Formats: sequence, C-alpha cells, structure tokens
Amino acid sequence: MKLFGKEVNKDTLKDTDWKKVASDFWYGKPHEERRLGDLYIGNTGLYKHREWRGVKDTMYYFNNIWLYNYGHMITDIMKYGNMVDFIKGTMRYRWMGQTYLTVMHWFDRGLEGLRGEALAASAWHYRGMVSETIRQFQRMFAADKKLHGGKENELWKNSIAHNETVSGVIFFPFRDQMDDVALEMIPYFVTCHVNNHTVLNYIDAAQSIGLPADPCPMCQAEYGIFVLDDYPDYAPTMITSNEACDGSVATSVLQDWFLNRPLYAMPQPMRYDDPLVQKHCAEEIEGAWKFIEDQYGYKFNWEKYKELAEKHNKLTEFEYEKWDVAANTPYYPINGVAQALYRIYYSQDGWRPIWEEVDGHVKKILDRCVGKKIETFPKTRHRAIAWSCAPLYYSNWCTWAYNCWGINTVINMDSLMFDQLLRTDTYEHALEDLTWYNEKAPMRAMAVGGHEHIFQLWQYMERFNCDMVIMYDQLACKGMQGIHGMFEDEFRARDIHAIWVPHALPDKRVVPRAEIRKIISDYMTTVMHEEPLDPTLVDFDDSESW
Amino acid sequence: MRDLLHLIEYEDLLQEANNKLVRQAKDEGLRALGYTCYFMPEALLNLPGCFSVRLRAPRSTSPDMATYYMSNRTCMFGRCLLERALEGGFNFLDAQMATETCTVTCRFQEHLQMMDVIKNPDFFCEFTDVPFKKNENSIAHFEQQLQAHVLDKLSEHFGIDTSDEAILKAIEQHNEVCRVVNEIGEFRKLDVPTITGFEFQLIQLVSLVCPKHLILPMLKETLEDLKKREPDVKPTWRVKVVLAGSENDDPYFVKLIEECGALVVADRHCYGSLPGRDPIVIEEGEKPLHAIARHCLQTSMCPRFMEQHVMRERKEYLAKIAKDYKADGIIIEQMKFCEYWSYERTIDTIILPRDYGFPVCSIEKEYVNNAVGQLRTRFQAFIESIEIKKIQAGGGQA
Amino acid sequence: MKKAILKSIFKVIGKIFGIFALVYGALFAVFFFDLDGKFLYYVWEPMMVKRYDKMERTDMTQTPYGAKEPVS
Repeated sequence: MKLFGKEVNKDTLKDTDWKKVASDFWYGKPHEERRLGDLYIGNTGLYKHREWRGVKDTMYYFNNIWLYNYGHMITDIMKYGNMVDFIKGTMRYRWMGQTYLTVMHWFDRGLEGLRGEALAASAWHYRGMVSETIRQFQRMFAADKKLHGGKENELWKNSIAHNETVSGVIFFPFRDQMDDVALEMIPYFVTCHVNNHTVLNYIDAAQSIGLPADPCPMCQAEYGIFVLDDYPDYAPTMITSNEACDGSVATSVLQDWFLNRPLYAMPQPMRYDDPLVQKHCAEEIEGAWKFIEDQYGYKFNWEKYKELAEKHNKLTEFEYEKWDVAANTPYYPINGVAQALYRIYYSQDGWRPIWEEVDGHVKKILDRCVGKKIETFPKTRHRAIAWSCAPLYYSNWCTWAYNCWGINTVINMDSLMFDQLLRTDTYEHALEDLTWYNEKAPMRAMAVGGHEHIFQLWQYMERFNCDMVIMYDQLACKGMQGIHGMFEDEFRARDIHAIWVPHALPDKRVVPRAEIRKIISDYMTTVMHEEPLDPTLVDFDDSESW
Repeated sequence: MRDLLHLIEYEDLLQEANNKLVRQAKDEGLRALGYTCYFMPEALLNLPGCFSVRLRAPRSTSPDMATYYMSNRTCMFGRCLLERALEGGFNFLDAQMATETCTVTCRFQEHLQMMDVIKNPDFFCEFTDVPFKKNENSIAHFEQQLQAHVLDKLSEHFGIDTSDEAILKAIEQHNEVCRVVNEIGEFRKLDVPTITGFEFQLIQLVSLVCPKHLILPMLKETLEDLKKREPDVKPTWRVKVVLAGSENDDPYFVKLIEECGALVVADRHCYGSLPGRDPIVIEEGEKPLHAIARHCLQTSMCPRFMEQHVMRERKEYLAKIAKDYKADGIIIEQMKFCEYWSYERTIDTIILPRDYGFPVCSIEKEYVNNAVGQLRTRFQAFIESIEIKKIQAGGGQA
Repeated sequence: MKKAILKSIFKVIGKIFGIFALVYGALFAVFFFDLDGKFLYYVWEPMMVKRYDKMERTDMTQTPYGAKEPVS
C-alpha cells in the first residue's frame, strides 16, 4: 500500500519502531537523522515542508517566530508609518518589493536545525533586525519626495541621509529634533541577506556606466542603486565617510554626483591608534555636528546625547556579557549568523527601542542557559572564529556548517567592532570615546591602520577558545588580498586549521554558495578526516534560492 | 627633432631604482629614503644628509613571489614593488617613509615592516597618517604627523637636522627642481611643442628618483638645450592629448600613445608633474613645515579627497589643463585594481565630454604592459575619432 | 429559555473556536508546507521583477555636476 506517496508494505509497518516514531514526533529527530537536505525543492531553496523540530520547537517556530513576526510586520508598518506609503514604496522600489516580503525565508535559512534556547534567542535577533528595517524604510517612504509628487514634506526637511558606514551614534545629539537614516543600509545591505537576487541589478547597473568589475561589489551596489534611480529621496543633505576602504571613498564621488545636494565628508584617520590622530578625528565629528546645525538650524543637544549614549552603553555592556559566555562556556544560545548580523546592525544604527527590547528577551534566555547549563549547540566539534568580511549572500553558511559538520562559529570579526563604551561625564570624554567608537567601525578596525590589527586574530582565537579559523577571502577586497600570503605563512607557523572561503560580498555569481560549501566540506573530509553529521547537506543545489 | 641633451642618460638612470646617481649619493654618505606617494612631501626627504627616491620597479616581469603574498587581485604596482624588494632591489634604502594613502601600496610597505625584507641594519619603515580633506583641521593634523613621523624619526635614527633653516633649504632646492621641470614642461604648451611626452616623462621621472643635487645640474643643461631646439618641419603627431589617471611611471606607455599619433602634452597622474611639480609657496609668517603640509594637501588632485567642492574641482582642473595645453582630448588611464581611479575614471569619462566638451579615451592598464596591441587599437581609434570630429567641425577640412 | 441562550452562546463560542481552529490549522498548513515561500517565489517575485524591469527610469548620468560651496 502507499502512504504519503511511498510504497509501504506490511512488514515495514510491522518492523517500524513506533516508540522511536513517537519520540521523533515529540522531540524531533536526533541531529544525525534529520536529513535536512532532503527538504529542499530543486535549486530554489524552498522547502517541500518546513522542518519538523518536535512538537515544542515546531510550535514555537510556528507561533513565536512565523506567526509572531508576520503579525508584527503588519503592526510595525502601521506603527512606523502608514500602509499607503508602504504600498507605494513596494511598487516603486525593487529592493523593497522584490526583497523584503520574502523575509521569513531569511529566518528559515538562518535558523535551520536550531532547537530550544538557541532557536529562541537567535530568532529574537532576527526580530529586532526586521523591526528596525521596517522602521527605517517606513521613515524613508514617509519622507520620500519621489513617493509624494516631488513635495518636500516636513519629514523630508527633518531627515538626514548618511553613508551606512557612518554610525548612527553620531546623530544622538539631534535625535529629538530630526532623524538619521542610513542611505544604503536598507536599499542594499540588508537586502543581500534577505534576498540576494535584487542586488545583482545594482552591481550590473554600476558597471553599465563604465566602472570595471574588480572594485568591491559592495561599493558598486551602493552606487548602482543611484544609477537605476532606485534610491528614495528622503533628506536634503548627506554625511559620508571613508569607511571602510578606498572603494568607499570613491563611491562617495559618484553618490555625490547623483544626489547633488550638500554633502559633508566625515573621514576617520587611517592610522587610528596613533594618539596624535584623535584630535583631528574629533574635530571632523564636531564639523559634522556644525554642518547639521548650519543646514537644519537645529542645536546640539548634550542631554539627548547623554541619554542615548548611556542607553547605547547598556547594549554594549550586554554584548560584553554575551562575548564572555560565548568565549568561556558551551551555553551561548546565539548562532553565528544571528550574532554577526545583529551586532553589526545595532552597533552601526545606534540605540533604538527595539534593540533594548530584544536584548531584554535574549538576556533572559542567556541567563537560563547559563543557570541551567544548557548546551545550546551540543554537536559542536570545532569552535570556529570567522575572520575578515563575510559573504552577504551566504551569511547563514555558519548555520549550514554547524548542521553539516558541527563547526560552531562562536564569533566573527565584524562582531568585535565598536568595542568601545561612551563616557558621558564630560563633553571632552564623550567626544574622545565617540572618536574611538567611529575608528573601530566594521570592516575597518582590523583592516586598516597597520597589519597588527588584522593579526589580532590570534588573540581573539585564544580568548574565544577557538580551534579553527574560517578565513573569508573577499576577492575584491584589496586590503585583505594584499595580506593574503602573510596569513598563509602564519597559519602554517602556528599550525592552525584555517579554511579559506572565497566570496564576492553581495555577488553570488562570483563564488556560488555551493562552492563555498564544497570548499569547507573538502577541507573537513580531506584534511580533518571527518564524516558529516548530516550527509544530505554536503551537496545540494540552491543556486536560485533567495 | 634632434636628441635632447642627457636624454639617453636619463633613460639609463630609469632602468633600476638603485641607479648610478643613487649609488653616488650613498657613497657621499647620504641616507636614501624611499616613498611611493605624493602625500609624502618630497622636500622633507631631501633635508641635508638624506635624499628621496620615489620607488619604481622598472623592468618588472611577473611578480610571482609578491603575488603569493598579495594575491593576483591587487594593483600590480604594489606587487611589483614588493617583488623588487624581495629580490633585493631596494636594499639600498635606509628608510621607507610610508603613507596609508592607497590600500595596496600601504600593504606593500607593511610587508617591508613585517618581513625584514630590506637587508640594511639601519632600515626602518614609518607610517604617516594623511587626511582626506583640505581644511584647516587637516592641514594642522598633517603638519603634526609630518613632525612626528618624518622629522622626528629622521632626527632620531640618522641625526638629520630638521630645523626650520634646514627645511627652508630643502624647500629652496625642491622649488628649483620644480622650476626647471615646469619650465621644460611649458614647451608642451606651444602650438607645435618642441618636446614629446615621452621625453618629458623621462625628465620628470629622473627628477623624482634621483638625488636632487646630482640631477639638478643635468636638468638645467637639458632645459638650456631645449630652448634651442627646433620642432620638426612636419610633426609626427596628429592630435594632442592630456594623460590623466592613476600611477604611471612607465615612459614607454607614453611612447606607445605617441607612436599611435597622439602627442602627450600634459601629465596629470601619480608620478606626473601636474600638480606634482607645483612649487611650495611659503606665506608670510608661516612656518616652513606648515607650508609643506598645506602645499601637499591643497595642490593634490588625488581622488582620495572627499570634500564635495574638492571632488568637483578636480574635473574643472583637468579640463583647465586640457585647455591650457591646447589638447584635443584626454586619455584617462587607470591601473587595474586601483579603486580610487576606477571610480574617478568612470565619472571623468562621462563629465569631461558632457560638461567641458573634451573627448575622453578611458582605459585600464597594468603596471607591466603586455596588452600593447589592444591599447594601440584603442588609442588609434580615439585619435581617428578626434580627427573625424575636427573634420566635421571644420566643414570637411582636416 | 436559559438553556437555549446558553446553548446558543456555546454554539457561537464553538463556532468562533471552530473558525479560529480552522484559520489556525490553515495557517499552520501554510507554514508547514512553506506555501508563503512558494507563493512569493513562483508568483510574487516574477510579477514584481517584470514590473521593475519595465519601469521608466530617469537617466541619472544627466544629473548636473556644477561647483559647490565648501561646507567644512
């Protein structure tokens, strides 16, 4: 007879271990028996059905993640703007309509295989990012001249655009008077993670006006949005910066042209740990504040800065607590991708209510894990540190690596940025710390200012008790390519297992995800002589997935 | 045209970094200080007791060892410099005065720090932070950096006199070099120039890589000789062009352009004389070091500068050069993998024809040029397109 | 009478519960069989791509590039 399309004979039914079936149903299958790779439909990345994680975790996923987030997306859209602007924005911008509605699949990919506390804590991080993304695009749409018949409304007049690598912390003194929204964070950066199809249009557009293919594709995409006239016109001015690299500086040239409105450059010094550079950097930050005062007529509000900086410190302090648990125990409940994306997002964005709310939820889970000694990633064979900048189109590779090989990415380079508390006792201290905060920005703190920064890897490996390095090899990053051989030499000299993972940041066409998996799998079989935990994940086709 | 005085010797001096004049200066007991970028003020490296050598890697082929260290996806200039260093070609250097002004040359210089490449016990490599803006804050910062990372280090390591008097003397010598090179360069503005772009680049390059006190007398003689030089009765060129773009220390690249029929009348690129040979002007009451810092930032046309008005002025400057030197078009070259110039080239290629009416030939090149055939085709097509436009503009008359 | 009212209240509650259960069950089916993903992948995304590809766009390379006053 046939059952669910499969031929089943009486003997099979007789031989079935029903107790095991019931246990699998109730608790979910053991890691080695999950066969997650069998769930995919062709090369789409879609699921024949979503994973059955046992009754408790499946229902948690359904109620507390899937339903909760879909529901909150609607309430967030209403809370941060209105449905009309949302629909207009969806119909107008490719990065919106093509990308963000697929957001639950972003959850699925990042949270695949997770159970219990790890599932809950990681999902809260995703929730925070989704909510803040909605807040930002709703603000953009509400102020957007393009969606309002070219009208410069009050929100437009009270918004400032900034390069996504300029930290939102800079704008704390003005947040009671206006709002700062990163120009590329939502139209570009977050889209790559959620649905990597969209960004390819922008990369191609950037090259269509004559840019060669070799510059960093992140920078290409950042101005490709302008070439395609796909940026929301939501602010009268912009602040840009030189973070993190030559490409970022150069991108400003083209963005300035297309925006064609007052632009303040707020560069950070390259040799940033030279004590002599701090004053110069501080003055550039003050220059940015003066620019805002001149352009908008608003006044620097020290009390507001203090209030928000202190709140922001709370987020940083909790981050330190998380690092401590991650470094010294097996009870850390946040997986590699959730940790990395959340950290880079909130520390770049600066304090917002949602980050505080999410940290509150995660703290409870973290305390429970530590208190009850819950091993959140019990199949860990290797504790890995991921170094250099990650492939945006496959930031969830670490979820796969754990499910397939037991490689647990405990920490990554970008999470270690912005390692700075902000003093608020005096203006001078505040400015000094803010200067440092900006100098320790993502992709930058380690990548510039001397080779000793990038070689901090060895200290962090020790601090986080890692036995393996996933060495991201961003093919278009000149800074990292320029020091490739020294890393090879050091890995050999220190006898470190390092897997080089080539990628092209947002552009999946250069190094497909399957190739990244193959490189890791090849290393695990040929060098480490290990067997996969889930053999169905070793080789599968997701070339057309989001 | 007849050969210019010393030109063959200049060509010879450019065949290796440790050339005859560098060796002579070292024998005199002077310290050789390497650098790669305009942002390391040349004048400061020519204080009494030392001399500057802007690094090149002439006659490079395939930088295999450097490619292991820096991969094949970085600018070949940086790799060729590292290869030359690994081969021992820079062992004559007593110090590398480094700047983190573009990523790959920065990494090259970091390798000098990390790998103990330079076999000279006195050698050290010191970085200076260079700002991205031209405002007062940046000038003050840069002055402080130059004091701490150049002057103090030279004094500390080699006992170099870094007093204001010594700096003034160095500025004087520097300006004399600039004056002579600029005077030579002025001949490119003639309707029928009496110097080719190739010849001028040889002159400009030797002025960068040789000890100033040894090359200056030769340059002066060349200038005198040039004053008496007559142009060809029938010029070999068909159009005049400005060469702009990223690092270019290869005179044979200029020769290639000129062989195709375009005379290179202006050089607005790294290692070029515009604005590289602008003299340092000391304002009244200004300290010489401040003048150098200000000069370096204010005159530079590097795409690294981020201020909005400065970004836009760069295009205007380039158009002005093309006009002043009576150029028919502009060739924008970009070293492959140079991020700054890949973007700058993109915008220049659109804005200069659109807003200033200059035709642009936009090309990507390598430090070691093997794709000569392709480049030749591009240049020939560009020259023909300018000629056609001239014919059309002149109502059918060439 | 009271019984009848109670019965009808229970009936309404039952109906509400039934509808809720039905909706909840339907949503669970959408969730479990990834029907949201399938809809977005096979229907929504191709439709939107077509829309964006056809959209008329300003030629941004015609943006003026005039001189600007220093702001710092």
